[in-house]
Formats: sequence, C-alpha cells, structure tokens
Amino acid sequence: MLVQKILTRNPKAELYYDLVELFTGITLVGFLWTHMLFVSTILLGSDLFNTLSKSLDDYYLSYVGIPFIVLVFIMHILSAGRRLPTRYQEQKIIWRHAKMLQGTDTWVWVFQAITGAAIFALASIHMFVVLTGWPITATTSAGRVEAFWWFYLVLLLLGEYHAGFGIYRQFVKWGWFPRKPLGYVSKLITVIILTLGVAALWVFLQLGGA
Amino acid sequence: MSNYTTIVSDVLVVGAGLAGERAAIEAASRGLDVIILSLVPPRRSHSTAAQGGCQASLGNCAMGSGDNTDVHFADTVKGSDWGCDQEVARLFVETAPKAVRQMSMWGVPWNRVVGGKKTLPDGREVEDPKEKEGLITARDFGGTAKWRTCYTADGAGHTLQYAVDSVVIKLGITVHDRTEAISLIHDGETCLGVVARCLKTGELRIYLAKSTVIATGGYGRLYGASTNAIINEGNGMSIALNTGLVPLGNMEAVQFHPTGMVPVWILITEGARGDGGYLLDKNHHRFMPDYEPKKKELASRDVVSRRMIQHIRKGHGVDSPYGPHLWLDIRHLGAKHINTNLREIANICKNFNGIDPVNALIPVRPTQHYSMGGVRTNIDGQVYGLKGLFAVGEAACWDLHGFNRLGGNSLAETIVSGWIVGKKMAEYTLGAAELNYQYNNVQGFAKEQQERINNLIAGKQGKENVYALRKEMEQTLMDYVGIFRNGPDLQKAVDNLKEIYHRSLKIGLQSSGKGANPELSTCLRMPGMLRLALCISYGALTRTESRGSHAREDFPKRDDANWLKRTLAYWKEGSDLPDLQYEPVKITELPPGDRGYGESSASSAEGKKQN
Amino acid sequence: MSTRKFSIFRYNPITPEVKPFMQEYTIEEPPGMTIFVALNKIREELDPTLMFDFVCRAAICGSCAMIINGKPRLACKTLTSDLKGTVTLMPLPVFKLIGDLSVDTGTWFRHLSVKTKSWIHSSKEFDPNAPEDRMDNETALEIYEAERCIECGCCIAGCVTANIREDFLGAAGINRVARFMVDPRDERSKEEYFDVIGSDEGAFGCMGLMACDDNCPMQLPLQLQLSFVRRKMVSFGLSIK
Repeated sequence: MLVQKILTRNPKAELYYDLVELFTGITLVGFLWTHMLFVSTILLGSDLFNTLSKSLDDYYLSYVGIPFIVLVFIMHILSAGRRLPTRYQEQKIIWRHAKMLQGTDTWVWVFQAITGAAIFALASIHMFVVLTGWPITATTSAGRVEAFWWFYLVLLLLGEYHAGFGIYRQFVKWGWFPRKPLGYVSKLITVIILTLGVAALWVFLQLGGA
Repeated sequence: MSNYTTIVSDVLVVGAGLAGERAAIEAASRGLDVIILSLVPPRRSHSTAAQGGCQASLGNCAMGSGDNTDVHFADTVKGSDWGCDQEVARLFVETAPKAVRQMSMWGVPWNRVVGGKKTLPDGREVEDPKEKEGLITARDFGGTAKWRTCYTADGAGHTLQYAVDSVVIKLGITVHDRTEAISLIHDGETCLGVVARCLKTGELRIYLAKSTVIATGGYGRLYGASTNAIINEGNGMSIALNTGLVPLGNMEAVQFHPTGMVPVWILITEGARGDGGYLLDKNHHRFMPDYEPKKKELASRDVVSRRMIQHIRKGHGVDSPYGPHLWLDIRHLGAKHINTNLREIANICKNFNGIDPVNALIPVRPTQHYSMGGVRTNIDGQVYGLKGLFAVGEAACWDLHGFNRLGGNSLAETIVSGWIVGKKMAEYTLGAAELNYQYNNVQGFAKEQQERINNLIAGKQGKENVYALRKEMEQTLMDYVGIFRNGPDLQKAVDNLKEIYHRSLKIGLQSSGKGANPELSTCLRMPGMLRLALCISYGALTRTESRGSHAREDFPKRDDANWLKRTLAYWKEGSDLPDLQYEPVKITELPPGDRGYGESSASSAEGKKQN
Repeated sequence: MSTRKFSIFRYNPITPEVKPFMQEYTIEEPPGMTIFVALNKIREELDPTLMFDFVCRAAICGSCAMIINGKPRLACKTLTSDLKGTVTLMPLPVFKLIGDLSVDTGTWFRHLSVKTKSWIHSSKEFDPNAPEDRMDNETALEIYEAERCIECGCCIAGCVTANIREDFLGAAGINRVARFMVDPRDERSKEEYFDVIGSDEGAFGCMGLMACDDNCPMQLPLQLQLSFVRRKMVSFGLSIK
C-alpha cells in the first residue's frame, strides 16, 4: 500500500458518503415534491397560495427550512457529485459506452449527471432571486414567471427528471423494491408533479405580474 | 546466450483443471514452489462442464443406504469390464468419501439430504431419514447399484473447480494461464520440465522443475462430434508420447456418452436419466427396458450408447438433417425439478436448440465424451519411462476406468487422484536431488520448437492447410472408429490417418504466424493429434475382442484368455505407427465375470439377480 | 442459403502501428448458426489471423463474452438469427486486450479473488474420518445461486463505473462476497467483510445503473445481491468501531 494512503485511511468514509447521498437525495426529493404541491395551490386561487406562504413564514418554517435545504443541497452535490467523472477521457468513455450499450438505465444516468450539474446552477439562481424578493406572494411569483417563464419551465423539467430517476435509483441500489414496478411508480409520480408544475406555471403566467 | 526466459520451480503442473490444481495444492501445502501452466484461466477448464456429480459411497440418502466402498468397487470394476487396475480402484473407492467431505470443507455447496417422504418419477415411494438431514445427498447414475453421485444441482464440476481454485489462490500458487506446453524437456531418464508457448504473445519459454505433472485432460476434439470443450485436444498426451519413452495406455478405450444433443453435441448430463428421464424412439416408445430390463436407461454408458445405435440401425431413429437420432424425455420430471436441479440442461436446450425440455423432447445421439486411455502411470501417478514425470486425471491412464468409465467417477477421480498423486509427487520432489541439467540439452528442446515454428511460417516443409487436415482427421475417426468397430473400417482409419499424418508434417501457414497467432497454435498441435488418433485406431484394430466401450462387430465377445491386458502405445522417432506393447491387468479382488447388464449378459432379457 | 455480414474489431498489440479498425466479412448463414460457428468459419476460410476465445461452447465456462451489436453477451449462445443486419463484434472493454476479440479476463478475475479473499475462511482442521458438517439444503442452494457466476465479465464490461474506475470490483466481485456471506462455513467477522468490500471499490461504488443485471448471461439476480451486500455493509459498518 502507498504511504499517503495508509496515512489517510478512513475505512468508513465511503460508507458515510453513500449514506449522505441517500438521505440528502431522499430529503431533496421530498422537499421538491412538497414544494411543487405548495406551489400548485395557486391552481386553487391566489388567496390560498398567499395564506400558505404566510403561515410558513409565521411559524418560521421558511427560516428554518430554507437554510436546512440549502445545506442538504450542498451536501448532496458533494456526496453524489463525487461519482461524476471530471477528466475529459472519462467523460468520453461514458458517452461512448452509453451509445454502445443502449441501456436505458445507463442513458438515464448520463442525463441525470448532466441535469444534476444544470440544477446546481439554475436552482442557485432560483433561490437567490426568491430570497432577494422575499416574501413569496402570488403576485411576486407571477411576476417572476412572466419575465422568466422559460427559466422556470427548464428548471421544473430538469428538477423533476433528476428527482424522479434519482429516487428510483436509490431504491434500486438499496433493493427495497424490485426494479420494474419501481420504475413505473417513480415515472407516474414524476408525471403527476410535472403536470401540476406546468399547470401552476400557466396560472402564474395568466395572473401576470403586478 | 539464451533467447528464452527460463523459469525454475520445484513442481510444474501442466493443466489447471480439477486434477492438476488438486495435485498442485498437495505440493504447495508441503512448502514446495509450484507453477501451474494452463491453456485458459483455471476456472474455464473443461472440469467445470461436468454437470452431473461425483461418486462417493457416503450412503446418506435413502436410495444410497447400505452403500459402501465394496459396492462402489464392484460397480467400478464391472463398469470397466474388468479392464481397470483393481488396486487403483480399491484405493480410489476408499478415498472418494473423504475427498468429497474435504471438498465440502473447501466450499462446495453439495446438495443435502432433506428428510421425509418423496415419490420418484417412476412412482416409487422413498423416505429420507430425519437423522440424516443436512448430510451430503446423492443422485442415481448409470451402472451403479446405489444412489451414489454427490452433486450441486447441475453444477458439480463448476462448484468443485471454483472451490479447488479458491484454495490455489489462498495458497498463492503461481498460475501462468494462456500458456501451452509444446514439448517435454528430458535427458532420456528424467523429465526436467517443458518448453511452453505463451498464447498472449507467442513467446517461447523454458520451465524447469524437479517434478512435472501432466493434467491436460482428454482428446475429445480429435472427433468431429464431441461433448468436450474445444481445448481438449490431448496436448499433454501427445507431448508425452513424442518423447518416445513414455507409453499411452488403452488409447482404444473411447467413451461415447449416450446423450449428446443434436446437432451441437453439447452434453446433456446423465443426471437427466439418473433423475428419471427416459429414452424414446421415433414412435415415442421407451425402448431401453426392451434391451436392459434391469438397469433400463441406467446401464453403463457403453451399453446404453450401443443399445441406442442398435435401435437406430433397426430403423427406429428419428430422421434429421444431421442423421438419425433418438429422444430424451424429461417432461414428466416437472417444471420445478427441471428448472432447479436440471437448470443448466434447460438453459442449454433453450439456447442451442430453442426448445424447453419442460414440454419438449430433446434430440440426442451418443457422442464422443471421455478417454479412458492416457499417459500410463503406476498407482502413485508416476509415468512409465521418465522419472520426475507424473500424470493425473483424464490425461492419465492410472487405470481406474479400464474400458468404460462410470458416470460420476471422473469428477471423483480428479479430486481423489489429484490428492493421492499430488502427495506422492510432493514426496518424490522433496526427496529428489537438486535439479541437474545440461544447458545445451535444455536449449536444444527450445530451439527444436523454434525451428518448427520458423519452418511453419516459412512454409519450408510444404503448404498443406491445417484446417483441411483437421477436418479429414475428425471425419476419419467419426466414420471408422466410433461406437461399433470392425477390422476393415479400422484398417481404413489407420491408412487414412497415416496419410494425413504424413501431410501434417508438411503444413505451411497461410498467415504471418506473428505473436499469439491462432493458426500457428493449431499447426503446432496437429501432428501430435494425429499420432494420438493413430494410437486410438491402431490399438482398436489390434485388439480383437470386445470389452467395455471397445465393441468389435467382428469380435463381439470379451476374450479374457487373450486380452485381459492393457495396451501400451509408444511412438518411435520417424515412425508413422505406434509400437504396441501389452501388460497384464492386475486382478486382486474380483475375477472377470458377468457385468449384469449389456450384451455379455446374454440372458439379460429375463433380468438377472445382479446389481 | 442467405449470407450475413460481420463487422469485427481488429487490433493486434504487436503491431501498434496499425490503428484499430473494423473489418468486414461476409459468410453463408446456415440455420441455427451461432457466433461461435461463424467466427470459426471466418478464421478457417477467410482470415486465419483472427483472434477470439472459446472453450466450452456451451455457455458454462465464460470465455467467449464480447460486445455483440452493442451488448455484452456470450458469443457461443448467441444465434445470428436473433440479430438484425450486420453483426458488429467488439472485444469487452475494461479487460486487457490480447488482440482482436480476445481479452484477458483471467488476470482480472484472479485479482478479484485475491482482493476479496474468495475462499472459505475456517479455523477447522479437516478430519478425513469424521462425517461432514451438516448444512441445510436451502442454504446449499442459496450459496449455489451466487456461485453460479461464470466470470465471463459481461457485468464488468457493461458497468459505467468499472469502465472509468480501475479499482471497482463490479457486480461479479460484490456477488462473490455475497456468496461467502451466506455460507455458514465462512467464519469471517463483520470487520473483515467490511474491510474487503465496504468502500467505493466495492459495495458503495455501484451507482445503480444495473447494466450488470440486464446483461448477465447466467441471469444471476444481481440487483438483489448488490443491494443485499450494500445493506449488510451499512449495518456492519455502523456497528463496528
């Protein structure tokens, strides 16, 4: 064994990394789906939306929740991101490999890696914009959507894709459910959330900014 | 200056199948430095293809109760048609149960006895005793009085090889895979090692050792239709024969397995019949009971194969583009049994024939399967004619099998003889003098091989095409040296093979021969393969009797007065026929008699009170 | 008789000046032709230099895995009639290339066995005169289920992680450890197992792409084995000091 590896050996490090990836992933999926359910309350009217937003504020849920999610988000990037190839040759190998194998799961993962990187950028912008325009109301949201609807549409698609297949992959890896039915269920949920999300965007767009 | 890398060890084992690795373990665990050479990675050896199982008289299951080494001994001797060495057979049956238990310790997941009542496919009720539950169980195989074949589902060879190889790895034994021994090195008295060709790079290397073990398996691929892996070309036998000093024993004793699947000749294990499968003819009539009322499908392999050919000759075969065949029927065993205990068969049928044996019949015909003959050794595995040379497993003629091997006895032989011969070989090596060799002599062997290679590449001796010659050899053996033999056919075989042999000395390469060139590999083997083919055919022509698998239509009876002896084939340099000598067969316990099945039991139609 | 076109990867390391290329061959296609039959025909009739590996030709030895029309498969049991159009053959990635379609799986798998210490670890001495230790038949079958792996390398070749991380043991390695974990004869402790495979080289390196599960010619339940080992490693890892 190499000296530098003996000196830095931490047998459990990768176990913890894997667990962090699992728990942050599940948390983020849970957050995202809840987030989208909350957002889509707009379908039931601006008042409900505003009341919900305000009560989250009143009970300090936003003030605890948002920093927590930011932390989880970063941890997820670090733990899941460790798997991503950084060298050009590795990236090329994976691309070739996915093309050759035509395995659905392999392609799905390639796009998951790409969407992950994209979400890192887009979600950061999204958070920055929302936080600087605090609090969240139907009107401010509608304004943002009107100006940047394409941004939200892209983020929605990327986020749901990443979350839906991410949760599928974690369940496959940990073997809690068989692969096939799991695939159907995660796809179904993703489609439902996507529909709600697109509908919400549409409503915001109709609503228009102040 | 030598051009060749030279590697020295205490022990050199050629062949990493079960027998070779088992012997290597004995030597290594006594502190000897061992190198194993193998054509392929050890776990790809043909040993892994043995599906059925391994005979050992543990007597744990209900149908094996009352079994003991004496019963196993009698079965083996009768199976061999009194051709085997009875001292060897005795040693073998006494050791087999221990070897099987040892394999259990090493990791083989043998199937175990499950207590309780069960109904066999033929309707018989048996009850496995509760107190035996969890001990190693056994299944039925041909030519045995008791259920004695220990198994792991249908992967006995696979699990044995993996377990034995795991011990090889544990002991850190060096394995050079993709390395082919192409010549023995010796000084006329003692074997000193081998010249080997690396099949990754084409490089020639010299391996020197105090003891060399030949464990290269059989020569099935001399025949056009064989159940054997394509690496089974008898390499070890031919390099031993080429010394001119070492004899091959009983090369005319060739086993045909009753159930090779048409048309790819992949083996359908005897376990299929052992577990209750039937043989049917074109009218879906179960014909074996007509010929063998007592043992039915489970007479010895030579007998079942002959009965099948006999039945086909009477016009009851199923016609196909690949010639007439018969059916193997396991449908009545049920999907659950087929898909667990006989899963490999189900897979083979699906993959290679597109049929599901749960509801379809399997086309089968007797197919070359095993060589009882091989490099002749004494009971310690020491090869006749050269000190420091040993042989073990199918490559050897230890002589456990005589003229017919029982199913399940070959896998057992590998672990038993690997153990025994390995021990004797290790003792010899520990007591042997320091490796003593003449530099020029050793180099000479390598240079001779280098010259052969150079000549082949340059096409100096001629331009014969190796693949064409090979096809002719395969066809000759198939046509004239098959299950039923006769004088004129065998003469034809010998004449043809002699002619092909002469042409094989004039092979020229079509390709460049550079590196690990596959054509060159075949060319280097070809003359040796033809010498083996001639040993088989000429031995068969000369043996004017029928014994076990050697069935002469012109001499249909066993002739103990003249032929209770073993053929020893030598190859003198420059000759085109083997020099045949004979030695008596040792009878220590069981004098020649009736096997209880087969043609010699003339009254078999009434059924004998025999096992 | 109809004919079939093959496009075959050619590269011989002893002539590195010749860059890898695809070579085309056309041969007659009799019914029931497998890639085994086809390749031998090409070598014997068209190109004696073509390198490839077969041993048992019955799908039990694992020698002949290659990439057939993009999928890792055993060539011996692949019927050409099941493939559409030109048959494209590539050697398995990850393993060292010997030449053309021939790769060195032997060295790789031997290394795997050494690394995972794939042998029964037992303190018992063998007593030739004692009866064997008893084992439940169900347990024996469970061990055999994992032991059925033939080390063909299809799972490794199909695995993205194995393609970019040289030290990843892949499904074959993880399945191997599972085989010993279910074996009551193996006395290894949690610590020892965790040490062998409780890292990104083993259980945690798997990203769950399941190309192994999709491409295993032996139909081993690799998803179940991989997740079983992953969960075991978590419980072992969390319970040891």
